[in-house]
Amino acid sequence: MSRRSESFRRSLGLAPLAWLAFAMYAVFLVYPLLYSVWQSFTNRSPLRLKPIFVGFDNYTEMFADDRFWMSLKLTLIVTVFVTVVSNVIGLLFAMLLNKNTANYRLMRTLVFIPQVLSGVIVGIIWNSMVTQNGLINVVIRNLGLGQGVGWVGTPELATMVVCIVVSWMTIAFCTVVYTASLQSVPAELYEAARVDGAGAISRFRNVTIPMIAPGVTISVTLCMITSLKLYDVLAVLTGGGPSNSTKSTAFYVIETAFSTNRFGYASAIAIFLLALTAVLSYITSGLLRRREAHL
Amino acid sequence: MTAIEDRPTTRAMLAQSSDAASRTAAREASNRVKRASRATLAWLATIVFVLPIYLAVSNTFKPRQEILDNPLGLPINPTLENLAKAWGRDDHLIQNGLLNSLLVTALTVVLIIPISSAVSFWISERTPKVKGVLLAIFALGLMIPPQVVLQPIIEILQVVHLDHSYPGLILQNVGGGLMSFAVFVYVGFLRTVPKEIIEAARVDGASEFRTWWAVVFPLVRPATATVGIFIGLWVWNDFLNPVYILGALQGQTITAGIYASLGTYSSDYGQLFGIMFLAALVPIVGYLATQREFIAGLMSGAAKG
Amino acid sequence: MKRSRLISVAALALGSALALSACSTTAAGGDKTEAAGAKLSFMVFETPALTAKFWDDTIKSAAEKVGGVEVQKVLSTGDRTAYAKQLLASNQLPDLLASINTGQLADLLVPYDEAWLKENFLIPDATAVDGKVYLPPVNSQAIPFVFYNKALFAKAGITAPPKNWAEFMDAVAKLKAAGITPIELAGKEAAWAASYPLVGTITADIIGKDPKWVQKLKKGEAKLTDANVKAALQKNVDLVKAGAYDPQALSVDFATANTNFVTTQKSAMYPMGTWMTGAGYIPADVADQFGVFPWPTDDGSVVVPITVGGTTSVNAKSANVDKAVAFAKQWSTDPKTQGVLVETDGAFPMLKNVKFSEYNAKVSPLFTAAFELATSDKVTRVNAFGQVVNDDALPGGVGDALGAVAQGMFAGADIDAFAKQLDDAWQKGMKG
Repeated sequence: MSRRSESFRRSLGLAPLAWLAFAMYAVFLVYPLLYSVWQSFTNRSPLRLKPIFVGFDNYTEMFADDRFWMSLKLTLIVTVFVTVVSNVIGLLFAMLLNKNTANYRLMRTLVFIPQVLSGVIVGIIWNSMVTQNGLINVVIRNLGLGQGVGWVGTPELATMVVCIVVSWMTIAFCTVVYTASLQSVPAELYEAARVDGAGAISRFRNVTIPMIAPGVTISVTLCMITSLKLYDVLAVLTGGGPSNSTKSTAFYVIETAFSTNRFGYASAIAIFLLALTAVLSYITSGLLRRREAHL
Repeated sequence: MTAIEDRPTTRAMLAQSSDAASRTAAREASNRVKRASRATLAWLATIVFVLPIYLAVSNTFKPRQEILDNPLGLPINPTLENLAKAWGRDDHLIQNGLLNSLLVTALTVVLIIPISSAVSFWISERTPKVKGVLLAIFALGLMIPPQVVLQPIIEILQVVHLDHSYPGLILQNVGGGLMSFAVFVYVGFLRTVPKEIIEAARVDGASEFRTWWAVVFPLVRPATATVGIFIGLWVWNDFLNPVYILGALQGQTITAGIYASLGTYSSDYGQLFGIMFLAALVPIVGYLATQREFIAGLMSGAAKG
Repeated sequence: MKRSRLISVAALALGSALALSACSTTAAGGDKTEAAGAKLSFMVFETPALTAKFWDDTIKSAAEKVGGVEVQKVLSTGDRTAYAKQLLASNQLPDLLASINTGQLADLLVPYDEAWLKENFLIPDATAVDGKVYLPPVNSQAIPFVFYNKALFAKAGITAPPKNWAEFMDAVAKLKAAGITPIELAGKEAAWAASYPLVGTITADIIGKDPKWVQKLKKGEAKLTDANVKAALQKNVDLVKAGAYDPQALSVDFATANTNFVTTQKSAMYPMGTWMTGAGYIPADVADQFGVFPWPTDDGSVVVPITVGGTTSVNAKSANVDKAVAFAKQWSTDPKTQGVLVETDGAFPMLKNVKFSEYNAKVSPLFTAAFELATSDKVTRVNAFGQVVNDDALPGGVGDALGAVAQGMFAGADIDAFAKQLDDAWQKGMKG
């Protein structure tokens, strides 16, 4: 038996499982994606028998659609807010909690909990706090500070509440990542910096930041992707209101596909959302990687 | 104690003191104050942050009126009524939901681990060029918002008559974006596995399958833990896919079931808190039990970026 | 050899996993009894009046009379028509659908036969879409009437319910001055309740004068950017500006709004469907504390916004269409079932062959007042804008836009932008 055919035989032993994986991935991810691309050029709907090819009509409509721009605006506001706030607060939290006593370990365990809860549960918990007779208003009334505020009653306030609630989940995630990053920094590095006469700020800049750079990459990417596909928290917390002001682009895709049954148009918006996600992840991961390499 | 202890930051100031003994004493006193104030600050921040969780838990054990009157306080008259009401619902939301979630989560994890670890090993053994192409294709699944493929997936499942069924939900879990995640974790981990171990197995004449099963699979156990924990958590907490793929007729997973029970017309917060408590118990206990692997898993991801 | 073993191991694992999940599905589904006859799924919805028990009881009763069917409930969440479309999009439209907008889904449904309709209903074509009826016209509601709290009116010095728009605004001002929230609004319910004042205004001011207006919209002879729509929008902006609603109204869901109006009595008026007169919403023993008047017009003419509806539409692609139709007919004409709807849901019955007394419904004075107002021969009865399921049903998405515009009035007052928002939704809906 030649060497070549033997290696062929050997690799074949594993190939069926690998092919199974490829096949499933092709069926449940690649094909649906291509299908969605095709559909975005049609007026497909379950109410219509034969879809008609409509060219770029759906995309033209999308760029003229106020609802689409509104959803995009919300998505971008939430993405920027959540990414910046959860990384800054997460890092500060991690530094504050980075001590290995039982006390601090308990605190860390508590702080990490929000990120294992589902968006639905998080939405319900916060919803019970921000409704008219919710906890926050009850406290405001008990303190004699007036009747409280309609927290999800105006587009601005509702957007703010959404930003805070999503951040609450991602802060927990970032804190986990940054704590682990900090604990992987060897103590000797700080000692060495100290011996060199570096102050606290300088140590943070020259030791901490470079060592947690991989953590930054993973936290920023995750916050971004979480925000871009945001749906479940919104469905529970605000239902997308008031006046559709808290309907994310992902929410709008679902609504267009499943409540108005316009599959073609929904696909066009979905493809845009994917392109946006791809571009943003490419840019940030590029920037962060380069920074990692620099440091 | 590790890394960033903050004790010597006052060094410069204290260095001016001529008396060495008083200097030490002062420094110790100052350190004690600092430690105490840091702990206080840390606890304050922690408490504010987890306040919503405290509310959800404490309100689970309060009678209805007390939730409205005194939402912040500890339960004065603790009651199990809310839990009993949630558990005793006519539609068995909790029991069916937990069972369905357990099933979907367990089967997804059990299927995805061998499939993705095998394909990852297979990919790792390809030439850099092939490997690059394959990983690029899998990278797609990492960033694709599930809303993009949801409706086409439902149509595909219709074609194979697995629409609104548990097998359909599980299969698309295994084949979708989650597989991308698993592949990246495994491929990343495989980079750290010394080639010699695998070569040694080959020299012994083991088939590729055997090499993977007997040598590689046990070696990548930490990656398997990561994949199992995270995919388990995500599938358990998944809302979109069960709601739309499973639909209305098959019963629901617990996460989707909670959403369905949020009637527009009812405001029984007590029962709702009861349902949430029972639903959140599983992921939280799971997280507490696997905390170390959980964090290690995150960092293995972070390390390879 | 090894390869084939591997394949069989993999196939076995996969197969057993799927088999396992398939059996657990049924086990988890709850109902384990094997059906003797046809299985029918029935999309229902729960309200304080239409409880789980109501559905179970009435379904059981109808199923027994039809025989050979087993009916499984599917609980709709939120907007029923939207939920039906969601189920349709994932290929699981139930066999029977309760109270959906047949104007939007007619293509998918089975029309009822004319003879049966004529024999059983007072207005057999009240729910007709292009001449065909997909929802038996078993009862009707007025959406909205304005309910008011007599004691709070007295407290604010209002002696009689307002008869026209000027008196209505005057009542708002007086209530406001007395420290009472003038109008209760479930502003969080974007898909429906939030828009009721707007629905009331458009129906009273526009459709009251021109009953064919929605048909004109559909033919493009009228537009939602016309001056009469803008005038109606302006009236609603004026209400917000006059402080008619709680500033937090957009955080108020339906359950909270009901509590505010009925239980804690913080607010004096409540534009709502006449189901409020049912015992499920305002219990009979407190019903005499409340009164009712129609949404006011400028000249004081009385316009009653009516929606005729029913509960049972049948999916044309059902595997058991005949059984489903038989079940639907039985359910819809059972006086006992309809009696419960009258009593708890304040429905105005429209069965031809059943006398009111035969429903055996205990109704409140408030129900009687609303019923008399709605059926009086001195009023103009028209299709309630956006609430009907017949030819005047709005295209999909317009109802949501009405709610979004109503909510938008709490943050801005740009009438032209609101009108454009409605028109955009209309254009988009006509494409749907």
